[in-house]
Amino acid sequence: MQNSLTRKPIEIKISTVVAVAILLNESSFPALEAALQEMTAGSPDFFDDEFAVIDVEAITDQELDWNALIPLFKAHGLNPVAVRHAREQDHATIRSHGLSIDVVSKPRQEPEIQSAAVDAAPAQPAANPAPAEPVAPAVVAEPQVIIRNMPAMLVDTPVRAGQRIYARGADLIITASVNNGAEVIADGSIHIYAPLRGRALAGATGNTEARIFALTMEPELVSIAGIYRTFENGFPPLQAHHPVQVKLNGDSIEVSSVKSAG
Amino acid sequence: MARIIVVTSGKGGVGKTTSSASFASGLAMRGHKTAVLDFDVGLRNLDLIMGCERRVVYDLVNVISGEASLNQALIKDKHCDNLFILPASQTRDKDALTEEGVERVLNDLIKMDFEYIVCDSPAGIERGAVMALTFADEAIVVTNPEVSSVRDSDRILGIIQAKSKRAQAGGEPVKEHLLITRYSPKRVEAGEMLSYVDVQEILRIPLIGVIPESEAVLHASNQGNPAIHMKGSDVSEAYEDVVSRFLGTEVPLRFINYEKPGLLQRIFGGK
Repeated sequence: MQNSLTRKPIEIKISTVVAVAILLNESSFPALEAALQEMTAGSPDFFDDEFAVIDVEAITDQELDWNALIPLFKAHGLNPVAVRHAREQDHATIRSHGLSIDVVSKPRQEPEIQSAAVDAAPAQPAANPAPAEPVAPAVVAEPQVIIRNMPAMLVDTPVRAGQRIYARGADLIITASVNNGAEVIADGSIHIYAPLRGRALAGATGNTEARIFALTMEPELVSIAGIYRTFENGFPPLQAHHPVQVKLNGDSIEVSSVKSAG
Repeated sequence: MARIIVVTSGKGGVGKTTSSASFASGLAMRGHKTAVLDFDVGLRNLDLIMGCERRVVYDLVNVISGEASLNQALIKDKHCDNLFILPASQTRDKDALTEEGVERVLNDLIKMDFEYIVCDSPAGIERGAVMALTFADEAIVVTNPEVSSVRDSDRILGIIQAKSKRAQAGGEPVKEHLLITRYSPKRVEAGEMLSYVDVQEILRIPLIGVIPESEAVLHASNQGNPAIHMKGSDVSEAYEDVVSRFLGTEVPLRFINYEKPGLLQRIFGGK
């Protein structure tokens, strides 16, 4: 309260917001309306007023009725803020609705963390069968130092129902519980040093090597690189009192206790 | 310095109004000048529980819209001289609550030297509930030992952390207290109900009290008497403990263990 004397009236900082992308593959208004209706099943708060970026890359050759389209998304609880790959001649119309034109400069780069990590892991046990052999350090694949460009995101407070945390381009470490109805998302792995009872989505941008770790697993849903699994009949029984990890094996979600894994 | 306390839960029917009435009465009985505000615009109940429904002339919305002064709208409690009730409007809806209006009313109450201002939140997470918690210094989260109530409490805690002025200012956060109501040790022992330990394990905020399930609450409500005035009842004593803990006295938890009725009690019938 007292630092209001030193506080600037306006501060401008770079801030990252989470938005959904609406990918349009069809330009006909009735078809889009029907698809939205089906998706939301008439539930008015399906999208909860989320920011949305409309991407029309797939249909740049087609005419779109922006004056009808933007209100349609708003009526379904989406809040369009920008359009990607819009045709030049539509820019004025789009801007007149208060939306921005998002210019996509370059394709998204996949973080190059996983390849190094995978190569190092299997090499080690094979090349180093006898640990009492200090003479051959050159052969032993030294654990490669993986340089990451982003630090992990750290959360120390419980993640509560209705809250959503997204660690963009990073791992997510949570030292308190993730409760039912909460959602934690990371582009990397998710580590929870407490019970996981909500949803956890690792590898959100497609990193299939991402994993989810928790001291106690009672999740509603886990997902890695878009492949998800729910636990209607409860979580598979594992060794009690051991941390649990969730990883991707081919295209199925595998759960195991960390102890038994190695 | 006045403290603004919101009594909230997310879920309806868990005992917010009952707890607000008893808690505010308890503070007043210990000599603190206290106001209790009903934020449930459109579904007002606090005046019924406090037994002052026939004395309601003006309400919170009248004060916010400038149709009445705070002094005209405040109703003095029939038990305590230093407890005042500000009822909600029955005929308006929650959109009538504006942030500026609520802030002005609370500031005026602080200027009138109220020590504690208890805001009885409506159920839900919509405007009324958010307005009730926006200016809070402390929050009493009322929870029944049952999964849907626990989850709704978890949700409302998240909203307190996101939307309260204290959270937005980034200073000291809202002080949270967990109040478990309608607790039945017998049903907990039978495994039909979550134990208070289970609830606290999920919500992870300090426990301020456990109020046992009791018929006395219904009797009290029907008579327009806050349950804390039902002298000798377990509910009344449990609320007294809550007030003590809130004011900083350490009191052991009571009414959390099931005692099997003794032989004589079974023969002659306890209450």
